[in-house]
Amino acid sequence: MAETLQNLLLGFSTALTAHNFFYAFMGCLIGTMVGVLPGVGPLAGISLLLPSTFGLDPTGGLILLAGVFYGAMYGGSTTSILMRIPGEAASVMTCIDGYAMALKGRAGPALAIAAIGSYVAGTISVVGLMFLAPPLARFALRFGPPEYFSLLALGLLVLGYMTGGSMIKNLAMIILGLLFGMIGIDHMSGYFRFSYGIVALGDGIGVVPVAVGLFGIAEILATAGNPLRPDVLKPKLKDLLPSRQEFRDSIFPIGRGTILGFLIGIIPGSAHIISTFMSYAVERRVSKHPEKFGHGAIEGVAGPESANNAASCGALVPMLALGVPTGPVPAVLLAALMIHGINPGPLFIKEQPTIFWGLVASMYLGNFMLLLLNLPLVGIFINFLRIPYRILYPIILMFCIIGVYAVNTSFVDVGIMSVMGVLGYLLRKFDFETAPVVLGVVLAPIIEMSLRQSLAMSNGAYIIFIQRPISAVFLGASLVMIFLAVKPLVWKRKDWRERLAEAEKKS
Amino acid sequence: MKTTRIHWVVIVLVCLGAMNFLLGKALAEEPYPTRPVQIIVPFPPGGVADLVARPFATALEKHLKQPVVVVNKTGAGGAVGMQSAAVAKPDGYTLMVALSSISVMPEVDALFGRPSTYKLKDFASIALLTADPTILAIKKEAPWKTLADFVADAKKRPNEIKYSSSGVYGTMHVAMEMFAHSAGIKLRHIPTGGGGPALTALLGGHVDCLSGGPNVSIPHIKAGTLRVLANWGDKRLPALPDVATMKELGYKDVEFYIWSGFFAPAATPAGLIKILREATAKAVQIPDFKAAMEKMETPIYYLDAPEFQKFWDSDAERLIKAVRNIGKAQ
Amino acid sequence: MTIDRIGGIALFLLAGYVAFETRVLPLGNHQIPGPGYLPLLLAVVLGFLGVFLIATKKNAPSFRSLKWPEGIHALALVACCFFATFAIEVLGYRVTMLIVLGFLFGVLERMKIWWVLGLTLGLSFGSYYVFNNVLMVILPRGGLGF
Repeated sequence: MAETLQNLLLGFSTALTAHNFFYAFMGCLIGTMVGVLPGVGPLAGISLLLPSTFGLDPTGGLILLAGVFYGAMYGGSTTSILMRIPGEAASVMTCIDGYAMALKGRAGPALAIAAIGSYVAGTISVVGLMFLAPPLARFALRFGPPEYFSLLALGLLVLGYMTGGSMIKNLAMIILGLLFGMIGIDHMSGYFRFSYGIVALGDGIGVVPVAVGLFGIAEILATAGNPLRPDVLKPKLKDLLPSRQEFRDSIFPIGRGTILGFLIGIIPGSAHIISTFMSYAVERRVSKHPEKFGHGAIEGVAGPESANNAASCGALVPMLALGVPTGPVPAVLLAALMIHGINPGPLFIKEQPTIFWGLVASMYLGNFMLLLLNLPLVGIFINFLRIPYRILYPIILMFCIIGVYAVNTSFVDVGIMSVMGVLGYLLRKFDFETAPVVLGVVLAPIIEMSLRQSLAMSNGAYIIFIQRPISAVFLGASLVMIFLAVKPLVWKRKDWRERLAEAEKKS
Repeated sequence: MKTTRIHWVVIVLVCLGAMNFLLGKALAEEPYPTRPVQIIVPFPPGGVADLVARPFATALEKHLKQPVVVVNKTGAGGAVGMQSAAVAKPDGYTLMVALSSISVMPEVDALFGRPSTYKLKDFASIALLTADPTILAIKKEAPWKTLADFVADAKKRPNEIKYSSSGVYGTMHVAMEMFAHSAGIKLRHIPTGGGGPALTALLGGHVDCLSGGPNVSIPHIKAGTLRVLANWGDKRLPALPDVATMKELGYKDVEFYIWSGFFAPAATPAGLIKILREATAKAVQIPDFKAAMEKMETPIYYLDAPEFQKFWDSDAERLIKAVRNIGKAQ
Repeated sequence: MTIDRIGGIALFLLAGYVAFETRVLPLGNHQIPGPGYLPLLLAVVLGFLGVFLIATKKNAPSFRSLKWPEGIHALALVACCFFATFAIEVLGYRVTMLIVLGFLFGVLERMKIWWVLGLTLGLSFGSYYVFNNVLMVILPRGGLGF
């Protein structure tokens, strides 16, 4: 403990130097901007900044890039709440309740709680990173293909059971998303699936065009010409802060979201978006008013937003403790270090204490800076809602096109976004949920590859899923889920879903 | 008032727009290059090609006197980016840095009976930048002390020893299969989604070995978690002087490099290619670039266009043979 | 004809299409699933779900009760999106945006001509400047050099 505090002091002395402080600030600022822009995510921002970090010292460069990474998670909620367009793929869940709150004139509190939740989650996660990095990372490394498959199967079951609406429709939407995710080259055999000779489809359709299309484009399609457009209540100054009740309601979701996000973030290969989905589903299940979800429940904003910030911090744990990248963004951070000749590996924390503890300290500072940046910005962003919608929606369309095109400089992505926009519009009309489709697209490659890799590892024996302890635990939990879902068919007493349906009918 | 505020916003936007319009028109026809040059990297940021292209772009900027921007166009193991570079306008503003897998893709397409997305002669070679041989990495707890132990064990239990790769027909897969074919052994292939996940799988003990680039493995080798049994190159690596090459250990036809080369669309005028060749030759001399590459354990291995073409042709022949030996994987 | 029934029919048709498309892919077997295995499995499940939806007795709103007041606008926006998709690399970003925004502001929203010109030119060229030159996010230039 004492040693940790000593190291932390060393870290703060590094992080508080003028230029490192400046880099942290720049990183957070750019990260917020990148997060606010629909489609463009932290990966694009970091790739753009990578050349500029060549001239900086490694600590400064890493602080800058990491700032963009977790800063983007703050900014992503802004467009989600104000315009129902995900700022980046992980913010999809915030669109649902966040935008509903904005329609009720509670956009300010939603943005504020998102910022506060993100701050709390980020700070607690850094504490976790500080104390638990090496043992957590070693645990994360034991996740192999069978564990991924069992975890994701459990996750899908959890979602299917806990999200509202008709379970059949939700399941159909997840399967639709999974099928979309299977378009492209099959990494296990080299066959192209469903790509019709279009090379750009060869790598699949990507989650960014799908998320921006299903949520952003579909939103403007549904609202642009609608004479019945609900006039967004222009909030007054005192409405900008959350009420005491909203604060109280958010405490536990923030806590649960932090833990859930952090644990999911440390697993290599999982995506942030999974943590937000799980957090939303969990909040819905434990809430005393599940019927409020989808219509402006603050828990539906606090939980997912905390989860995705905690996940971005968790993603840094294996990278810093073992030199193992958990996803494309940590991979670029590793590359940035390698370019400076620093070799991240198991001895990184011991050999480079200045860099590691400097980064940890700057993350504390960065989270605080982002809170200070984002809270006043709430007042400024609210004004965005004052622009008359007839001028606003073409601007939104323009930003969506830029954002989606910029991800892979490919017009095919813009086309996919358009198709998804039409699909999202029709799905809304026919009363289907669109969020599970995005989840399916993200999960499809991971879940299919994990299944086939596991079978390749065991040469076709399905027993491998039970032989490995972690995987067996997840499968056991899945069975419990299935049992809970089937229970109402056997027991005649109404279960919570039917009570929920009744409550919805009354309200 | 609301109207006046929007008024101002519009005026500012119009001014920005007018500025860009006028700047665009002011540039008349001038010698190459007069605007930013794009280098397409068909792989995701942080990967081998990307790590080479970025310092290289910075070094090129000094001689071309124009911004050189790296654009990642990922997909289909690199096919998307390579195809877009093949059909790009041959005006010298769209170039490409690609890896040795460029030689493999058309052959794989032929194997699956589908039209290939590009042909090797769609590209004009400018220079070879790096040529890292792959190395056989195993966990430090593994029972094999030498390559001979490994081969003997593999012969005793065929299809039992697992290795990970960055994807089917990718560099790590072809390299390992080339060796397996030469040694007459059968190994079990576990493809993953990329170089990073493949290394993670080995570190976690989910596979037994892999054949990968030295740069990402060296930190783990220095830390002691991984060991190296052999090296697919022609000569021993300066970073790993105790590791013998496959040729030394008796497998004379096994040679595999993850090389990165600088290409332009084939129809680019010879004059522009000459300018690029000269700029590259100067760029690889810049001490900053050299130092950056050495720090990444990917030393510069420069060959100008004619020598590079010879290298590429002979390497492509080896790779195509290896792919044919693999056949249709599943 | 409820919306659920239409949804169910659409899902069933999609499932059939996917199953048909997997015919060229090797299925493998339960031990070593091939590339066609999981898509086919999912398509079968989706087909069943579609049938459930068609046969369900739940009281869903009928198709005729759906209102489409935003229909024309939506159609125009969709046309703009697809136009942008194909034109962005042929005509270049700025020209495409000029056409799209000009159409939206001028024709669809019927704003005054000076507003239309100002907003369209400003947004197209302004955004190009900010993204291409300042942020170094390369936006395409088309055949006209724009």
